[in-house]
Amino acid sequence: MRLEVIFKILGVVLLFNAAFLFIALVIAYSNQESSLIPLLFTTLICIIFGLFPMVFSGKHETLSFAEGITVVVSGWVITCVIGMLPYLMWGGEFNLTDAWFESVSGYTTTGSTILNDIEALPKSLLFWRSATHWIGGVGIIIFVLLILPHARNARITLLNTEMSELSKSNFHFKARTTIQILIVVYVGLTLVETILLRFAGMSWFDGINHAFATIATGGYSTKNSSIAYFENVWIEVIIMVFMLLSGIHFGLIFGTLTGSRYNIFRSKVVRSYVLILVLGIILVALKLFFNNFYSWSESLRYASFQVISVGTTTGFATVDTAIWPVFTQMVIIYFTIQCAMAGSTSGGLKFDRVYLFIKSVTKQIQLIKHPAGVFAIKMENRTISDSLERQTMLFVVLYVFTFFITTLLLTTMDIDLTTAFSASIATLGNVGPGFGKVSSLGNFDGLPNLAKFILSLNMLLGRLEIYSVIALFTIRKR
Amino acid sequence: MALKLKTKLLAGFMLLVSLLIVAGSVSILEFMKLSTSFTEILENNYKSIEASKTMLEALEREDSGILMLLLGEWEEGRTILKESDKVFMEAYTIAKNNITEENEDALIADIQSKYLQYKEKWARPIVDTFKEGNIDWYQNNAHQDFIQLKISINQLMTINQESLYEEATLLRDNGHRAVMPGIISLIGAIVFSLLLNFYLNQQFISPVKELTKAIRRFNPGDYQVHSKNKSKDEILLLEEEINDMLKRIARKNDTR
Repeated sequence: MRLEVIFKILGVVLLFNAAFLFIALVIAYSNQESSLIPLLFTTLICIIFGLFPMVFSGKHETLSFAEGITVVVSGWVITCVIGMLPYLMWGGEFNLTDAWFESVSGYTTTGSTILNDIEALPKSLLFWRSATHWIGGVGIIIFVLLILPHARNARITLLNTEMSELSKSNFHFKARTTIQILIVVYVGLTLVETILLRFAGMSWFDGINHAFATIATGGYSTKNSSIAYFENVWIEVIIMVFMLLSGIHFGLIFGTLTGSRYNIFRSKVVRSYVLILVLGIILVALKLFFNNFYSWSESLRYASFQVISVGTTTGFATVDTAIWPVFTQMVIIYFTIQCAMAGSTSGGLKFDRVYLFIKSVTKQIQLIKHPAGVFAIKMENRTISDSLERQTMLFVVLYVFTFFITTLLLTTMDIDLTTAFSASIATLGNVGPGFGKVSSLGNFDGLPNLAKFILSLNMLLGRLEIYSVIALFTIRKR
Repeated sequence: MALKLKTKLLAGFMLLVSLLIVAGSVSILEFMKLSTSFTEILENNYKSIEASKTMLEALEREDSGILMLLLGEWEEGRTILKESDKVFMEAYTIAKNNITEENEDALIADIQSKYLQYKEKWARPIVDTFKEGNIDWYQNNAHQDFIQLKISINQLMTINQESLYEEATLLRDNGHRAVMPGIISLIGAIVFSLLLNFYLNQQFISPVKELTKAIRRFNPGDYQVHSKNKSKDEILLLEEEINDMLKRIARKNDTR
């Protein structure tokens, strides 16, 4: 493994972070905020450590699979370490554990927070929180791939390690075009949402921050009571639409906009995903209405927002779901497990895998009935290979196993079952809020430090789709 | 064009030095802020809080003096009132000369007017008048003014205490922000040293070792040293110079 190549790409990762830190720095400077020095210092660290490998490294056009995996995993870890520095240096509610938790939660677009008073943060740090969502949303390595010069083969290797097989399924282009499409859709959606939120009554600052958090399916808000603060149905509608779009495969969004045959309306997976979300909304709204929680229109409004928020792994809140009936909580937990579509900015299990899992189970049942039969699984008119089917089944098993182990570890720290269970699944799925002590308007501050470290590891595993981490360690053992 | 070894090393050290300079400057700046916060706490708030406490104590003593007069103890009552008035005015002057918070000037003016009103109540004769032993007069006049004045002084103390708390929080945060760049620079310098060690080994030590091996492999008939060095810096230059030297020796040997 050529460490100099890995260091050089990681340097680019740091320089990319420095660009966003610089914007936060300008905000801090113009408002004369106490976060100026922490941001300045972190920016300098990023620049120094980003430039240093470039002084010594020459041009490298190729990258092996092992190097690719190392770059992806260590790129995320280093980014999270850098991301926590402004919080750690600024102080306030942040200690080492909390700064690390907040940073990992930001980059992995989980959106879980340890902050009791979000509004006490300077504007520049609020921007930095949202920026970590935006950087992590489409994947920092994807951004780096766009700017990596002289590295066509390296780009292909990194794209293959950063994106899962399912995520790449609706992109019918070369590596560089795929990356460009991802970025164009990502930036375009962010810009449009920011403008719409401004028109709906948000300030530019809140608009940008909420657009960053929506399109990245993150969930960090600039307000303590999240979206509930605005009490504006138009803001809720805009955010709901963009959460839904961000939960759909970006290749299909691009296809819809360019009139391609690979579009949202022809995709069976999108149809099933939206149908299940609608079903979830109706079930939750009916339960809320018949339990006399709200009027019918309010039930529909709150149910729509919460189900879409969790179903797309965003995690914004307009109400505290911890007080809702258990049935509605179970529906929301289902969406926490299911997550959004592959090829979107969401993390976790992903709907495509659930879809494929169900199809695979159906196939196995058919095979029991007709042992000699040949059954193929098709997704979006594409026959799924046996290896992809096996990979998906194994992923589902690993996912359930990971979240079971995390829940078990949390309960050893005397955390109640609801909190432990929902916190594990919400962090592994990069959703954010759970139930119990970590409900939609609550936070993770009350959990022990060790629990916060375990949950932040969960977030990284959810974002890196478990396999990359396993691959990294198995490669090293060779 | 590839950077020369000297430039690479210089650039590496310059980056490290700039990190340490920035960390040092940030720490000095934050420690200076820390010192300002200390001064602000002591000068602005602590003095006013102490003055408020003294005023309250003096006021309590004056209340006791009035009660003495009500009991007909003229001598003792007047002595207490005179001494307490002096203490009160001294503390009041300190507070008046130390207006640092928003609305503090209005509170000082309020205390002054209320104190004059209160003083008027006990400055006039009490002993041998209808006021002596008259609890109703005390309750409806002197005591009411006393309570109102105490409320105003307490307000003065509260705004200074709140400001003190804010300053103390700032002090804590500034202390934290002064120490953190140092800690992070220390860790950064360690990581940087490890990286520098890696690059020095890769760019300098390994090529020199390769060249040494190549020289060791040198066959007198070849007049050429072949190392695996791929860099385009001084090491390659050295290899080229050695090869040139060998060629010159060969030429000299051939001419003999």
